[in-house]
Amino acid sequence: MTTKEVVEILKKGMAYAQRTKFREAMAYYNKALTLDPKCPEGWYLRASALIETGKPEEALADCNRALALNQNYSDAWSKKGLALFNLERFEDAVVAATRASTLNGNDATAWYIKGVCLDELGRSDEAQEAYGKSLELEIIMDMDAERKKVRRS
Amino acid sequence: MKTEMPLSKPIRRLVKQTEDMLDTQISLLRQPDAEPGGTLVDVYTYDMEKNVNVIIFPAQYIGLLKDFIIAKHCTSLLIKGAAYKKSKYRVLSYTEDSVARAMRQIYIDALKDEAKKENKLPVDKLIQMLFILFTQFNDDMNEIPWNAMMNASVYHRMPKIRKTQLYHVMKESKNDMDEMMEQESIVPRRYFVLDKALFYARDMFLAKTLPADELMPVLNIPQMKKFNHLEVKEMLTTRWTHTAWYQSKVFGDNMVEIVDKHLDKVEWNTPPTLDHYLELYNLGVNLSNHLLSFMTMKDWFIWEEPKHLLQAHQRKGEYEKLALKKIFGDLLGESWGDT
Repeated sequence: MTTKEVVEILKKGMAYAQRTKFREAMAYYNKALTLDPKCPEGWYLRASALIETGKPEEALADCNRALALNQNYSDAWSKKGLALFNLERFEDAVVAATRASTLNGNDATAWYIKGVCLDELGRSDEAQEAYGKSLELEIIMDMDAERKKVRRS
Repeated sequence: MKTEMPLSKPIRRLVKQTEDMLDTQISLLRQPDAEPGGTLVDVYTYDMEKNVNVIIFPAQYIGLLKDFIIAKHCTSLLIKGAAYKKSKYRVLSYTEDSVARAMRQIYIDALKDEAKKENKLPVDKLIQMLFILFTQFNDDMNEIPWNAMMNASVYHRMPKIRKTQLYHVMKESKNDMDEMMEQESIVPRRYFVLDKALFYARDMFLAKTLPADELMPVLNIPQMKKFNHLEVKEMLTTRWTHTAWYQSKVFGDNMVEIVDKHLDKVEWNTPPTLDHYLELYNLGVNLSNHLLSFMTMKDWFIWEEPKHLLQAHQRKGEYEKLALKKIFGDLLGESWGDT
């Protein structure tokens, strides 16, 4: 089980990643994974940083490690879809994104990646359907964010 | 283009096409606090070390919402780049003299307005407002006519992102409307009306182009709802004719005619060549000039290189002071506006 210490280290890494400081984020993720290599979140977060720094193959490997530890980890499936898209493995990316959106129907990124990959494969109608779902979710999130902003001001 | 983020096929094609046509590069940047409509930092406006344009968009936009922002700014870049490469790229800038002319005109109109008001604006606020209002029209005139054109172009060229576009345009329109509400009691009637009329004209044009009833100003601005389907007799006989909102509609309808006259002829689906985007630029300049004439603001601004406008912005405090000196002489004292 992931210890409190590991969770705190991952949080620090995420804070850096949010500010697009991926090198610093990676250092924290590596530290967390050294302490607990069976932490799927650690592998998933490191995969996210690897994608951002243009390393989709390494990211894919980390997603697979996360999924080996938790087969139903929807975010890791979604990230795997993105890594496969960046590797231009569109068929595999559709499979991963579909799995992600099945596990979590509200994952706008997964629906979007699915749409983009289906478009690449010439499956235009299916792509439009996935895009539609992704847009719907994005708009809901955006409107929620707007409402929060209004409440704060 | 170098990016790790996924982009839909038509957007990737548009980015690549923009880069090839302009012989430049486009970099995409996600930022948590970016403007909702994104920002374009381009080589035609700013001194950049490399030939790389940056499109910045909110980090939370991960899918089609981001794609529309990219499409809009690529279109903007094509218009600017075509003007730069094939002719001259100019924007509406200002000088010390033009600021003085504009501020004097606003001041005279404000005085007329204040004379009729029960709750008068404190003098220092009124004086501060002169330059703020001037710069607002500068910003709006450098934005609104081009915004209408970019949206029309994206609508015709990118049918797959139309739903996304509609959401963005409606959100933008709503935000603009909200901003208006706070200003009615402060800004002189004439300028309130003209500024609202500009937005009204943009929305009417987009409502027709997109087409979307949700963008119709007479439907989406509560204060304007009563002017929808109003009969001529009623219009002429009711007290509504005296409201700023009714007047915004009347001026706005006239501006819509000006916009239509310029943009109705455009063949939006013509092959996307530099000549096509240069034509859009020239139309945008003509449209802006006509709108300025209609608002009797022709001598407020001059068409100049973007660098001129950036320098004018840097010297705006100085311009404001000199203009106030021209209008009020020594009445305000040397230290006015220093704090």
